[in-house]
Amino acid sequence: MKRKIRKAAVIGSGVMGGGIAALLASAGVKTLLLDIVPFDLSEEEKKDPAARNRIVQFGLDTIKMSRPAALMHPSDVNLISIGNLEDDFDKLAECDWIVEVVVENLNVKRDLFKKIEPVRKPGCIVSSNTSGIPLKAMSEGLGKDFRQHFLGTHFFNPVRYMHLLEIIRGEDTLDEVLEFMARFGEKRLGKGIVWAKDTPNFIGNRIGVQGIVKAMQLMVEMGLTIPEADALFGPLMGRPKTAMFKTTDLVGLDTMCHVAKNSYDLVTNDEARDDFIVPEFVNRMVEKKLLGKKVKAGFYKTEMSPEGKLVRKVINPETLEYEQYGPVGFPCMEEAKKCKTLPEKMKAILYGNDKGSEYAWKVVASGLIYAANRIPEIADTIVEIDNAMKWGYNFEMGPFETWDAIGVEESVARMEKDGMTVPEKVKKMIAGGNSTFYKVEQGQVHYYDFGSESYKQVEASRDAISLPVIKGTGGEVKSCASASLVDIGDGVFCCEFHTKMNALNSELIAFMHEAMDYVDENGVGLVIGNQAGGMPGAFSAGADLKEILAAIGQNAFDDIDRMIDSLQSAVQRERYSPFPVVAAPYGMTLGGGCEVCLGADRIVAHAELYMGLVEIGVGVLPAGTGCMNLWKKMTSGIPESVGDADLGKFFIPTFMAIATAKVSTSAAEARANGFLGPRDRIVFNRDNLIGEAKKEVLRMVDDGYAPPPEKPLKVLGEAARGMVNAEIFNMKSGGYVSDYDAYLARRIAYVISGGDVRINSTVDEQTILNLEREAFIEFLKQEKTVARIEHMLKTGKPLRN
Amino acid sequence: MRDAYIVTSVRTPGCRRNKGAFRDTRPEDLLSFILNAAVEKTPGLEKKDVDDMMIGCSFPEAEQGMNIGRIAGQMAGFPIEVSGATVNRFCSSGLEAIALASLRVMSGWSDVTIGGGVESMTYVPMGGNLPRPHPEWTDEHPDLYTSMGITAENVANRYGISREQQDEFAYNSQMKAAKAKAEKLFTEIVPTPAVRFVKQENGTYKKETFIQDFDDGIRESTTMEGLARLRPVFAANGSVTAGNSSQTTDGAAATIIMSEDKVKELGLKPIAKLKFYTTVGCRPDEMGVGPRYAIPKLLDKAGFTIDDIGLWEINEAFASQALYCIRELGLEKYMDRINIHGGAIALGHPLGCTGAKLCATLLANMQARGVKYGVESMCIGGGMGAAGLFELCE
Repeated sequence: MKRKIRKAAVIGSGVMGGGIAALLASAGVKTLLLDIVPFDLSEEEKKDPAARNRIVQFGLDTIKMSRPAALMHPSDVNLISIGNLEDDFDKLAECDWIVEVVVENLNVKRDLFKKIEPVRKPGCIVSSNTSGIPLKAMSEGLGKDFRQHFLGTHFFNPVRYMHLLEIIRGEDTLDEVLEFMARFGEKRLGKGIVWAKDTPNFIGNRIGVQGIVKAMQLMVEMGLTIPEADALFGPLMGRPKTAMFKTTDLVGLDTMCHVAKNSYDLVTNDEARDDFIVPEFVNRMVEKKLLGKKVKAGFYKTEMSPEGKLVRKVINPETLEYEQYGPVGFPCMEEAKKCKTLPEKMKAILYGNDKGSEYAWKVVASGLIYAANRIPEIADTIVEIDNAMKWGYNFEMGPFETWDAIGVEESVARMEKDGMTVPEKVKKMIAGGNSTFYKVEQGQVHYYDFGSESYKQVEASRDAISLPVIKGTGGEVKSCASASLVDIGDGVFCCEFHTKMNALNSELIAFMHEAMDYVDENGVGLVIGNQAGGMPGAFSAGADLKEILAAIGQNAFDDIDRMIDSLQSAVQRERYSPFPVVAAPYGMTLGGGCEVCLGADRIVAHAELYMGLVEIGVGVLPAGTGCMNLWKKMTSGIPESVGDADLGKFFIPTFMAIATAKVSTSAAEARANGFLGPRDRIVFNRDNLIGEAKKEVLRMVDDGYAPPPEKPLKVLGEAARGMVNAEIFNMKSGGYVSDYDAYLARRIAYVISGGDVRINSTVDEQTILNLEREAFIEFLKQEKTVARIEHMLKTGKPLRN
Repeated sequence: MRDAYIVTSVRTPGCRRNKGAFRDTRPEDLLSFILNAAVEKTPGLEKKDVDDMMIGCSFPEAEQGMNIGRIAGQMAGFPIEVSGATVNRFCSSGLEAIALASLRVMSGWSDVTIGGGVESMTYVPMGGNLPRPHPEWTDEHPDLYTSMGITAENVANRYGISREQQDEFAYNSQMKAAKAKAEKLFTEIVPTPAVRFVKQENGTYKKETFIQDFDDGIRESTTMEGLARLRPVFAANGSVTAGNSSQTTDGAAATIIMSEDKVKELGLKPIAKLKFYTTVGCRPDEMGVGPRYAIPKLLDKAGFTIDDIGLWEINEAFASQALYCIRELGLEKYMDRINIHGGAIALGHPLGCTGAKLCATLLANMQARGVKYGVESMCIGGGMGAAGLFELCE
């Protein structure tokens, strides 16, 4: 029997259950969402199916309304059917995977599994999303077939956005089941798989909560303030902006305390068990229901001043009153801000001379030691722990990567000086002449394995291609400061951008030409993709505005014109070269980055795709083929035999997408917006994106790729002008657009509609490209456009002038 | 000129666009039904007696195209010789059609005519399927195409009509309509067959017919608080909301007009005469002020003052413009004579049908109350107003 998930069931429709159901539906899996019948129904209501489903219906409504969106497209919700655990229990027999996400109570879970056992079909996989209850306890007394198909699948909140999926083997789980679920989680759901053991709170929350609670304890002990602790443990340490306390506000103080208490109760032999005792003031906060964001009051609280201004306040741990606070800082932070790389920043923080540094060091050092001591207890390798922290807590570096970054020997010496107990295995590693946890050998990343006391290769998915690894083995065939051409095998090359935010500059554009020359000469096809980090990261955030602004300052409009012409021809070459070109966008794919994708033969996109032509925000228009190619993409699906289709219906969404700088919130929405076409693919796992794009190139080559003939485009012509004039007038009257927006929008309409031609004319692609370029240069000569560009560079936000 | 007598004036219910009872009913079906109903309600009249029919329609295209005035007449079973035309003056089209039909009789060119109106805003959206404002003209004069919502905002802003006033007006419209509906006072409505596509057990769909006998846009549960909560829909800091604007609606109406000779021949008791009808232009970007100019022009022609008019139907395109016109005309003292059963905010505004629909409503109310003179008026997209004076027959 070939295992498949034809239908899944999620039991429990709270935040996590709803999140899992939404992810499954977004991934195209039919999902049954069940919850309990409310306890408090009247006799009348007990007969009413709607009343009986009230709880699960609320869960479904929450899925639909949650922001950031839990679903990748609103219509995905149609794949979710709902029911209750009394009337619809038998429907579980149709499911190939049942995931339990009910209240964290052993007896409740145990009873549920006992009920599921006789209903589930043979071979049906059953998993628990528990964050802390041992699997062993839950599956006690259940039959062999059940236990063989029983495992832990621990997602992180918010499920759609957090990459981590911890898979926990039960006592009797079949290897085949574990492998299947790991593959399903990786490929279909796009998750990063971490193999955890059946130990309290598994990996992410065990390590993560130790870090948070320890940070809280030391804060109280050393007399730091909450904003100070958060300032130290933010981006300067490669952690999310929400740092320690704001993260806890997001998670909920009750949840965090529950995990901490659960750990404390269960880890009786833990050398650092006391690290899980939350400070008294936090317990008092929980008693007072100051639980964080969900009740709008946690460690932080935002209040409205009498003048209607938002005032950010923080709790005083002694009085539990909220007080205003200002900017905080330590000398070590000033030093760190001057550093370029994360390891340098971390060193500046941890090896400084002030109280903040002393505090950060104690927190980090205890965390590193704690993590090392947990192997092999909670995980077999350091890789699992590092991945769990990166994927589940959005750390840029996990503990062992951090340790490497700050110098293993240096830090161990300081730990010992400070009287900390350094794990024997770490000392042994150093004694063996191994001073890092990771090293790259022959282009492969290796990690230090405590078990065998030797380095082992980090295993990657068979679909994943790692550009850094290939480049490490001499796979880079061409490069410049802005981009590289990487040989990804089988005659396929990858054009990798590596500027800041992967912005397009003239060097990068020139490189694209060189790359395509090279592939034409030596290869079968090209992938345009990169693997810059970040959440969500940027495939390319658009053109390099600094370069453009500098050129404007020098009145070098001819240079800009040549640069735009070069970008247009580079993007046109993507389509008309004799080899296939596949773009592999993810995350922010804006402006010029979006144009590079629209021009490709095909797009293989990550499911988290924030794609849009946002140029109007800086007072320009898409002039690197964006206007032409979006129009073409919108209309290219109309068969010739349709004849006089109403182009107005196609024009309006094209125009609105550009004139309102519409950005998709997912690849599914980009498809709905017309930016992705029917032949473009969506990949859920970003780690596999380049690999999947390469497969697409090879498929096209195998199919006997020939570039499409260039055909003139049918346009709306002057009819667009009247339509847009009238609509802009209304929007201006309604106060929705400024005069300058109106000026820009009208000209953009002129470009998309092919200029001064009659309705339904056909024009060459180059006609629209020329209109794009002319308008672009004209816009750059306007003061208000320059002001918009300057404002964006200064603040990162668009100016409405 | 001789007199033209209205002997019958009826309408279908008005039903909400896209969501209402007529969402699956073609406009030709609504219109041919009401034409038939009007003839049936006129004892002794035979279809062949009708000389011509004038049908108001604001967007005479697609399902409403190909001269629906001719097509619906044929569908209603009128003999081939009975001709028909479509008349368009946007929101006064229905009244324009009745005026033209009356003039034909008054001039002696016809003995029996029909004036009516139809609009399925579900099938043909406001603005039509292919709006194409003129490219060069709109460079300088886009105001000619101003969206109706913006004109309502402009009236509110320029003439100081507050959000609270608009909401209160809207609330009263709903309450009056709800009361009239409950008391079965819409005697001009003819229960109308509607269709819907119903999924069958085998998964295919079947067209089924049902009878609709009430205006389905009336919201009995409307509250001032509820109205106050609605967001403005046309302008960022505006005051015009979905609650204080007219509803977009599907419906049809028909009025039969006869010469005195024909009335006598059939032995009928005529209802009323359309005494005067007039139109006037105003600024396109505040088209809602139209009645404020059309009504004085009309009364002037008749030699009347507002005090002579016993009932008013002033179309509630928007609360802001209706309130403005009422205020400027000095009609605030006669609020109990205006839209006594509610207006378009509760009952809907099926564009080209509205003029014919309000005629049916006004005449029914004039008869019920024994009011001698009644005025119907409305504003018109593009910047116009229209008004008609009806006189009840003794």
